[in-house]
Amino acid sequence: MSRTILQVVNLEKHFGGVHVAKTINYAMEEGEQSAIIGPNGAGKSTFMNLLTGYHRPDGGKVVFDSHDITGMPPHKVVRRGISRAFQVSSIFTQMTVCENVRAAVQAQMRVTLQLFASGRRLGAEETERVLALCGLEGKRDLAAGALAQGDKKRLELAIALAGKPRLLLLDEPTAGMSIDEARSTMALVDRLNRELNVTVLFTEHDMGIVFNHARRLTLLHRGEVILDDTPEKVRADATAQRVYLGEHHL
Amino acid sequence: MDDFAPYALQLFSGLSRAMVLFLLSAGLSLIFGVMNILNFAHATLWLVSGYVTFSIFAFLSQQFGASPWLLVPAVAGAVLLMALFGFALERLLIRHTYERELPEQLLLTFALVLILGDMIKLIWGLENRRINLGVQPVEMLGTLVNPYQFVIIGTGVAVAAGLWLFLHRTRLGKIVRAAVYSRNMVSALGIPIPTIYALVFALGVGLAALAGGVFLPLLPMALGVDLDIIVQCFAVVVIGGFGSMLGTFVASIIVGVVYAFSILFWPDGALAMIFLIVIAVLIWRPWGLFGTELRY
Amino acid sequence: MTPRSQGPLARLYGGFGLSGPVALLLALAAIAVPWLPGKFWTHVGTEVLILGLFAMSFNLLYGYMGQISFGHAAFFGVGAYATAMLFTALKDADGQIGVGAFLLSLVVGPPVAALAAIVVGFFCVRLTGIYFAILTLAFGELLFYIVFSWYSFTKGDDGIQGLLPPPFFQDPTNFYFFTLAIVVLALAAMWRITESPFGYAMRTLRDNQRRAAFLGTSVRAHMLANFVIAGTFAGLAGALWGPFSRSVNPVLLGWGESGIAVFMTLIGGGGSFIGPMLGSVIYTMLQAVVKMYTVYWPLTIGIIILLIVLFAPGGILGLIDRRIRAARDRQ
Repeated sequence: MSRTILQVVNLEKHFGGVHVAKTINYAMEEGEQSAIIGPNGAGKSTFMNLLTGYHRPDGGKVVFDSHDITGMPPHKVVRRGISRAFQVSSIFTQMTVCENVRAAVQAQMRVTLQLFASGRRLGAEETERVLALCGLEGKRDLAAGALAQGDKKRLELAIALAGKPRLLLLDEPTAGMSIDEARSTMALVDRLNRELNVTVLFTEHDMGIVFNHARRLTLLHRGEVILDDTPEKVRADATAQRVYLGEHHL
Repeated sequence: MDDFAPYALQLFSGLSRAMVLFLLSAGLSLIFGVMNILNFAHATLWLVSGYVTFSIFAFLSQQFGASPWLLVPAVAGAVLLMALFGFALERLLIRHTYERELPEQLLLTFALVLILGDMIKLIWGLENRRINLGVQPVEMLGTLVNPYQFVIIGTGVAVAAGLWLFLHRTRLGKIVRAAVYSRNMVSALGIPIPTIYALVFALGVGLAALAGGVFLPLLPMALGVDLDIIVQCFAVVVIGGFGSMLGTFVASIIVGVVYAFSILFWPDGALAMIFLIVIAVLIWRPWGLFGTELRY
Repeated sequence: MTPRSQGPLARLYGGFGLSGPVALLLALAAIAVPWLPGKFWTHVGTEVLILGLFAMSFNLLYGYMGQISFGHAAFFGVGAYATAMLFTALKDADGQIGVGAFLLSLVVGPPVAALAAIVVGFFCVRLTGIYFAILTLAFGELLFYIVFSWYSFTKGDDGIQGLLPPPFFQDPTNFYFFTLAIVVLALAAMWRITESPFGYAMRTLRDNQRRAAFLGTSVRAHMLANFVIAGTFAGLAGALWGPFSRSVNPVLLGWGESGIAVFMTLIGGGGSFIGPMLGSVIYTMLQAVVKMYTVYWPLTIGIIILLIVLFAPGGILGLIDRRIRAARDRQ
């Protein structure tokens, strides 16, 4: 039997006068792969920021794996097993691809306060595994800042994976990728979900990807959950058509 | 009333010091706000303009006979010259560092501190320069006060008011304010950014030159004073909040007055007191008393 | 991707970057210095080593953590004063000090500097960028004024004089090699640290602090650890300074002294491990020569810094490194 891994209760957040999270209630079962959709400014990224402690909620609760993580700083949330990949690729530009991933692996191993261990050897095997998984072995010695846009996003995902997450949050994982790159990236996400039982929550603008890769959709509009159902039901729903899907001419 | 006398003396000297700090810090803050450049050389330019004012004043006195009123054209001339110099400096050097990392920007302006400092030494020698206006002290609040201090205080307040009007009531001023918040917005207004930058830098240096000129009859200009003053200006800008004119004004008064009063109680520690305030502000409100949490 | 046959120099470059061959050259030069005629260059060489160590400790913050400190000399100065005060206390009535007592006074410099760095760092690591720079400046100046005005404890403005080491160490060549040994050991330790998981965590903080936090790295704890490590090595350099120059004074804590570390790092190149030491070689030797001929040293160094910032960002090693990479890419 699957169990609840993430439980969000009555989450509230204001930015100045703007209500960016309106009493959001949301839950995920372990092993789920779901998507959050909604127009620009609906509060998708904010929602992920609230889950991971980047913003502190004004009210409500976030429970992950039966631990209350509301208002915890990001590094503590991450250590509980949540990783995220950012919408605009957020990588370590002056370090090589390999160093990027290895630093993430070492952070996950909690060895970053070891002053005299070998930074090149610790976690090297795991690093190679993640690089191979994301198809980045050939680019391992390139400076991350010099990568093409699609490769940057792939490195972004690799860094998130190096954290051995149980819940993986992906903010538009295929933005800026070619069709082929997007396809292989989402295939990798599917594999992680199926083979390693990683729970995945992603946002995406490409409705083709959303309907092919999410088993549940949540429609966010002006900081509010409007709809939370299977892709088929959401596709058929009139409200969804009006606030969001309509503009995509499905 | 007699007990109050030493305090009154310190208050006036603190306020006049505050106005000089304000004239300098206003430019520093404006330049930082608009171009994101922390100009280490700001007080050195102030020092240079003090020497320039002195030379013009000496020249005019030679030509027309000594008169305290010659200070007015001397200061005006120095402000004009220095503003032009500032404009050229921005065009020739500063603009190359906008896309650079913070340390390199700091290093470039710090190099100017060293170069300009030695240029003063080369041109004017090691002697301190001071203008004696021959003004008699007047009695106030039971103590003798140099009335020239009121000229400085008046200048400071007038410039503060003028700057406020410029920034809020003129088209150019509004553009400058907009540039503090968003560079894209300004390019949308159709004003070439490089022109704005050069003008703001010239304005900042012009204000520093004004401060240098009006300061001259009060205290001598001496090599090395610029380093003392620039850290106090940093203190002012941090306490008031980067980019906030009101903050700069209030913080100038705080720093000037605290400095003057510390001299009564702990002569060596006047600057230490100011650094304590800076530390407290940075820990409690890194964006300053009047700044917004924008850039942070 | 066929493996190319590599010469020893290329292998050195692969393992250590540009720091490998440059360190080798500097080491050879370091051994040659005492054989130059006269004691002058031996004296300058000792200064190069001490200030170079100081600059390299600064670069742990700048090159590896991405923060610029304008108050780093505070820890150099605190280390110098800790050593100088214990040194003075251990001297006998004739002003002589035994070898054991001398070494003991050197040992106390770094931990005292570390303590100061813990206190100052606790506050400074809450900020970054320009705010970090100004807060370190403010703390540095505060410590300067405390040392400057607390006459009964520190001798204030006068400084502490008469730090004459034991006879063996009074010989410039002996003191030079003693300093060289300590600096080489310190550099080896720093190399290990920068190549450790901690060192790589520092690079993540430099490149992208938000992302580093999302790896599970506690940003403040790691920054504080690095701040204290950098302060400790600065304290070691400071400890050597007193017996080298026979005196200490409050200026050692001031921002002018902090500026020297910044200059050296920018000249040599903060992106390379050995860059600041190369910067110290250039800065210190140039200063020694220029000051023989002119009082306009600030003008000279000002122009040099101006040229470096305009034409060689990343310092001399940064410039060479870019040339090498460009040549490789053409192949």
